[in-house]
Amino acid sequence: MVGRKLLGAALGALLLGTVSASADTIKIGIIGPFSGPFALQGKNFQAGVEAFMALNGKSVKGHDVEIIYRDLPAANPAQSRALAQELVVKDKVQYLGGVYFTPDAMAITPLLKQANTPLVIFNAATSAIMNTSPLVVRTSFTTAQTTTPLGKVAFDRGIKKVISVVSDYGPGVDAEVAFKKAFEAAGGQVVEAVRMPLNTNDFSPIMQRIRDSKADAVFAFLPSGPTTLGFVKAYNDTGVRQAGVKFLAPGDLTQESDLPALGDGAVGLLTSFHYAVSHDSPENKTFVEAAAKAIGSPEQLSFPSVGAYDGMHVIYKMIEATDGKQDAEKAVNAVKGLTWTSPRGPVGIDPETRHLTQNIYLREVAKDAAGKSYNKEIQTFANQKDPGLAAP
Amino acid sequence: MRSVAGFGTAERDTSMQTVFSIAIDALAYGMALFIICIGLSLTMGLMRVVNLAHGAFAMIAGYIASYAVRDLGIGYVVAILLAIAGTVAISIPLERLLYRRIYGSPQLTQVLMTIGITFCVIGITNYFFGPTLKTIPLPAALSQPVDLGFRSVAAHRLFVMACGAVVALGLWFFIEKTAFGIRLRATVDNASISEALGIRTQAVYTISFAIAMGLAAFGGVVGAEFLPIEPYYALRYMVTFLVVVSVGGAGSIPGALIACLVLGAVDTTGRYLMPEFGNFFFYAAVIAIVWVFPRGLLGKAQ
Amino acid sequence: MQLVARTNPVKTLPATGGQVLRDVVGVVAIAALGVAGYFLFPDNLALLTRLIALALLALSLDLVVGYCGIATLGHAVLFGAGAYAAGIACVNGMTEPLTLIAIGAIAGAGAGLVMGTIMLRAHGLAQLVLSIAIVQLFHEAANKASAYTGGSDGLAGLSVGPLFGVFEFDLWGRTAYLLGLVLLVVVFIGLKFIVASPFGMLCRGIKEDPIRIRAMGAFVAPNLLKMFVISGFVAGIGGALAAISTQVVGLDSISFELSANALVMLVLGGIGTLYGAIVGTIIFMGFEHIVSAINPFHWMTMVGVLLIAVVIAAPQGVSGLFDRLWSPAGRGGRS
Repeated sequence: MVGRKLLGAALGALLLGTVSASADTIKIGIIGPFSGPFALQGKNFQAGVEAFMALNGKSVKGHDVEIIYRDLPAANPAQSRALAQELVVKDKVQYLGGVYFTPDAMAITPLLKQANTPLVIFNAATSAIMNTSPLVVRTSFTTAQTTTPLGKVAFDRGIKKVISVVSDYGPGVDAEVAFKKAFEAAGGQVVEAVRMPLNTNDFSPIMQRIRDSKADAVFAFLPSGPTTLGFVKAYNDTGVRQAGVKFLAPGDLTQESDLPALGDGAVGLLTSFHYAVSHDSPENKTFVEAAAKAIGSPEQLSFPSVGAYDGMHVIYKMIEATDGKQDAEKAVNAVKGLTWTSPRGPVGIDPETRHLTQNIYLREVAKDAAGKSYNKEIQTFANQKDPGLAAP
Repeated sequence: MRSVAGFGTAERDTSMQTVFSIAIDALAYGMALFIICIGLSLTMGLMRVVNLAHGAFAMIAGYIASYAVRDLGIGYVVAILLAIAGTVAISIPLERLLYRRIYGSPQLTQVLMTIGITFCVIGITNYFFGPTLKTIPLPAALSQPVDLGFRSVAAHRLFVMACGAVVALGLWFFIEKTAFGIRLRATVDNASISEALGIRTQAVYTISFAIAMGLAAFGGVVGAEFLPIEPYYALRYMVTFLVVVSVGGAGSIPGALIACLVLGAVDTTGRYLMPEFGNFFFYAAVIAIVWVFPRGLLGKAQ
Repeated sequence: MQLVARTNPVKTLPATGGQVLRDVVGVVAIAALGVAGYFLFPDNLALLTRLIALALLALSLDLVVGYCGIATLGHAVLFGAGAYAAGIACVNGMTEPLTLIAIGAIAGAGAGLVMGTIMLRAHGLAQLVLSIAIVQLFHEAANKASAYTGGSDGLAGLSVGPLFGVFEFDLWGRTAYLLGLVLLVVVFIGLKFIVASPFGMLCRGIKEDPIRIRAMGAFVAPNLLKMFVISGFVAGIGGALAAISTQVVGLDSISFELSANALVMLVLGGIGTLYGAIVGTIIFMGFEHIVSAINPFHWMTMVGVLLIAVVIAAPQGVSGLFDRLWSPAGRGGRS
């Protein structure tokens, strides 16, 4: 029985985790992709959280705040639920935050009522999550929210025919649907809608499709990282850009951390998004300084950091409102209708949907004086709600 | 809309152009796959090691090349050589310490060990270089488009095709025609008899491993335009590499070449004609090929 | 190429007194460990339930890898079939948990039949590649059929009814865990009988030497296929359990990554013993859980080191190591 004893001991050792904290510490559990293929986005969560705490202190009304990070490298609802449950039951967190992927959020929301814990989503961008529990608040964006303004802008800029090319997964389909709706409402025509597999490595056949379609512009959505790089490269290399086909996309594609890799090939791409690291405001300057310090190298800074930063703002407000007592409903009610100036501009929590109302910006990738690429904001669409929720 | 079997000359011209265009894309992609995968085919076929960490070594090379070109300002070709040398230098102690223990082990044990190595490499790269994409800037000569008459193609793609051809011919010559190749094949066929005949099999293994890693490194660098370098590279493309090598028949250079070209063509054409079902085409082709050739296209019966 | 080497010679004949006693002790130990887990870690039951679901997958994988010598990196197809079948049934109004488990098991068995039929065509490396291709196709199909599966957003909104009409599936996950534990023990006992039966021995025989078995007049493929179906049944139970306890089914449950993880856990624990599947799952998941809690950013390196260390210290898997500790004299000439 040596073996099983060893095993028991190992199991014992592994699950006796953190020591229970003093009564006056409020714990916040943050779940995000801190390793694996999306580690960069998780790192941005952490940077946003740390930046907020560096600027606003580590305590609220005398209650100390402690953060517990839990890693969820890829979409995995079962693991997500296990992590959330452990954070709530064992670590006794009063707030849950983070969550990069939609299915992971979906796995957590059924727990919230019983756990008496609000969930503040820093990223997961599908509209439907908000309907699954009244205790969810979201400080990021939805794909429909960031994409919709692009439809009208494209038409106003003289683009009449567009081919839509998206990765074949939830957010891609959301983007396609939102763009098509907005663009056709404005009077344009989506001549072809292509959905390509997520793991496409060579995009030249897709570029051939784009050329064949004779569209004025391509609307694209792909997950950030290697696929985006490949797509933009192919757009330049195969002469699609030279043929005058414009490039439209939600800002996920030109997130700042990818821009150095995209290089000159990205210059001139038009995207619409809720946040650019280059956003010109005193709030953003302070934020970027603190977040860059937290993440180590400023060029890794990207949009999830601002979602996390504002998420922490909301959680701090919740702690203030409940004076450190665990009351999820009161906490969520306290932030409904809350407005403040975020690094991305003026924002507010819609009391109906608990989703963030915010400005969406049209941006163009440009080079600054030092030759560094950045997203240059050229037009603002003020106070955008989530159109995805209004019309499911 | 795409033209279907038009009778007019103009229309036929466009469809022919499309076919050529797709063929060139397919060839470039297939060759890039070939350069990266052929080293794995050697380790799996000749050394009988399922080296799932193959991509990890290609990735290491990519990082070295990226660092050399971007931060040190070294030329592209020198950076390739540096990346190969660096990767081989890293791989040799690993061969001594780890791989040597799993020669002849059950393949599942090898899988466990090499996945472990992959995890370590990913973790360490992420720690030191961060999770962002790393590019390897091309020299001006390779980054221009080249006009082929009916379309323009990136010079880099032509370069990759040429590299693929050189690697295929060079390896074939090396294994079939040189003294070392004879020793290698003898060692593979029967290590103990080869040893008795005076072949230093340990050395043969070490050198072969180094060559395979050098090829991985070369592929990682020149293929980086297709498969960009980032820490998760080693796992992201592991399946593709394994599938391509197995379809070709492990250890067979022409097999790997045909597999890469066929699968590259299926992938590219599928993604052009029906992108929605791109993956279906690729894997259905894999199943069909394996169904007809259960040992891989040119795999040897064992 | 023989992917699963013949390293585990058939050690002892079944149904000898010692073997039976050992298995009784083993089953009691698993049950005791499970109950101990319930009382020792009442705050981690969701994790432990997930562990049980994956242990079922690893057990199911052991049937084909360890007992039939079929290497597969696509076993999540069977698990995912069970999870999605249970999930879809649940969303459509079938909320009784045991029925959902049964639906999952049947769906898993069906998937096992399909997968086995295709895979038994090839051998060695080609077989491995077939399994990868199949899991990728199923994954893609589940992504495409988002009207039924929720696609990459996951199939959400499973509201499972209380077990026996009494025990709710709640935040603490007690019901789910105990249900899982009972399922695991029952499945384990069932599998012990199956692998010790003449049919089980035949499969082992096929793994050792298919030509000889054929020469003896036994059918090779139908027997392996039968084992594949049983394996699917077990994996389907695991998938359904995961669906019920998580209330969301994601594409990860039918992915190559899950298949590879299951194989790693199994090989880590040791193939061909059934115990290895459970030991490997506990060690892998437990280790991952601790190191990822200690350092959520760089734990992957530690898992890598663990795998390398296991290969060096215990090439037969951890349960092989235990075996050696248990009886230093060794059994059946294990070197």
